[in-house]
Amino acid sequence: MPILINEDLCVKGCTLCDQFCPGDIIYRLDLQKVPEIRYEEECWYCGSCEEYCPTDAVKIVFPREMLHSKTQAESLFGKAENDAQNKLEAPPKP
Amino acid sequence: MNHPARQLFETDVLVIGGGVAGCLAAIGATESGARVAVLDKGGLLERCGSIAAGVDQILAVAEDGPAWDTPDYLLRHVPKLTDYVVDMKPVETFVRGLPGMLRKLEGLGVPFRDPSTGKYFRHRTFGLPGEYHIDFDGSKFKPKISRAVIDSTAQVHLRTMAVNLLTQNNQVLGASAFHIRTGEFYFFRSAAVILATGDTNRLSRNTSGLPFDSWHCPYNTGDAQAMAARRGALMANMEFTENTITPKGISSQGTNSLTGLGAHFINAKGERFMLKYDPAGERARRDILTSAIISETLAGNAPVYCDCRHLPGDILTRLEETLGVDRPSLPRWFKEKGIDLKKEPFEVTVSEFSSRRGGVYFRGSGILIDQKTGTNITGLFAAGDCCTVSGGISGAAVMGYEAGKEAAKFSRRNGAGRRMQDQELEAEQERLFSALGASGKLSPGEYEEKIRQVVTDYIGYRRTEEKLRSAVERLRNLAAEEGILRARDGHELMRAHEARNIREVAEMVATAALERRESRGSYSHYRADFPNRDDANWRKMIVLKKGESGYEVGYRPTGVENPPEEKHHADIDQ
Repeated sequence: MPILINEDLCVKGCTLCDQFCPGDIIYRLDLQKVPEIRYEEECWYCGSCEEYCPTDAVKIVFPREMLHSKTQAESLFGKAENDAQNKLEAPPKP
Repeated sequence: MNHPARQLFETDVLVIGGGVAGCLAAIGATESGARVAVLDKGGLLERCGSIAAGVDQILAVAEDGPAWDTPDYLLRHVPKLTDYVVDMKPVETFVRGLPGMLRKLEGLGVPFRDPSTGKYFRHRTFGLPGEYHIDFDGSKFKPKISRAVIDSTAQVHLRTMAVNLLTQNNQVLGASAFHIRTGEFYFFRSAAVILATGDTNRLSRNTSGLPFDSWHCPYNTGDAQAMAARRGALMANMEFTENTITPKGISSQGTNSLTGLGAHFINAKGERFMLKYDPAGERARRDILTSAIISETLAGNAPVYCDCRHLPGDILTRLEETLGVDRPSLPRWFKEKGIDLKKEPFEVTVSEFSSRRGGVYFRGSGILIDQKTGTNITGLFAAGDCCTVSGGISGAAVMGYEAGKEAAKFSRRNGAGRRMQDQELEAEQERLFSALGASGKLSPGEYEEKIRQVVTDYIGYRRTEEKLRSAVERLRNLAAEEGILRARDGHELMRAHEARNIREVAEMVATAALERRESRGSYSHYRADFPNRDDANWRKMIVLKKGESGYEVGYRPTGVENPPEEKHHADIDQ
């Protein structure tokens, strides 16, 4: 879960995190209940909810993929079908 | 199924997108006396748009004394800064509008001056020929300009996604939209429409593998570009893509200020390599920085690190203070990862790519605009990162404001187009909601993943004719799968439309990249099969227009008059 909400600190009736979330991920439709993180896989991890919570009840939790990325950057640069063509002697000029 | 009710609105100027460009457009149009409606997918105008969470610098011409601090001086350098592919006429509107916009934004209460000195804290970055950037605490930037919109006569419709433009005989009639929570259908009838939904993200993969972990706002999904293109708007510079340097694992903004304040990059061998690529070193243009990191990685010199250890104490303090301004969560990420940037270098790599401006100011990838922000569709205007003039928050502000004034003028002179018939609106509502409640197999997220796979593998950074042909074909095949998308509620319907828009933009990128048979702008467009820049044939813009089967390709001159050996060259290396 990317966003943790501390039930003891969260103020009933407040909807700031719901409004501040740019991704429509946090829903507080029932003002008496703790806000629901409805679409957790769509979180930007921008931290707006945490930043603007008036009682510090919200905490962003970074997932393992972000803290310990195992991806080789080269795998993101496109398929290298022809190695000779793609191994660059010199960097491209602007 | 039974669709919720529909609501019709009439206005003089419809602004789609409530970010910086959209807000300044609304301000410009209301100042001209127009009735204005602003739509945004976000829940709070103060926090809508790409810099919703904050911003730490602005490109400015302040006319504050130095010779470089004038529009004329900056304009002379634009051709070289954009590798000679840029549309000079609208860029002139942008650059000449900079000093006035700085004052206007200050008038709205944005604190650009350093409170301790009363002066602008300026620095040189991105290869610009002077200290054009002002560092400032922009955490209240968006709230301030939004406040001006809220206090005006403009009507703001939040959590509202615009989907299609409606036109007749190439003239705008309005736009269809829906509320992302209630699923209510809206039609906005308007003489003039300003598109300002920003750039396109979630296009390719990154190191965390999380599509919404993106450098720029992942909720900016090319909505304007796709809706304009589907109606026959001309699109230009789509081949140029952009990425940035990010700490490995988090695709975040906010790292520009590191290089701007003097951080170095070092490779696995401990070499400071940037000077090999550009005399400006780490202060080179963004596309040169990211390209150098890609080159070092491909040459086997990864990992690459960012090193701040040599910086003086006051600069380090400033760095730490401003790190979270663009992205409040970034300091926490460093902390959780256990990195103290004062004491150790940290690994960096490149982010996923976006369709915005190919790493250079002034040349945007998107809807082709003229010097008054108009498009080839009558009554349709565009500003900000969705159009062909892109220049950060100041570009969005200047061009947005211009679009607001122009759209209001157009609306006053021409009035609204014809009213939509009931059955036309019904058909549009049916189209727009077709995924809702459908028993389709494909979730928007799964569909998007297929798009990202194609873009990463077949467009990528080492482009070839073979791969790009394959990309165009695969992306066009994916268009056929739009019909099996499913959405269970308004929110998912939004994601379904976003996925369609991302695919549309990806097809434009692939088509334009296939056409440009040369390399230009480092890895913003690198063709492994045409590795050199070819000024004799390609110093022109590639323009796309959606046809029956794919995009038709045309060209357009840039208006750049200076020869490549321009006489002002010496200024740049000062």
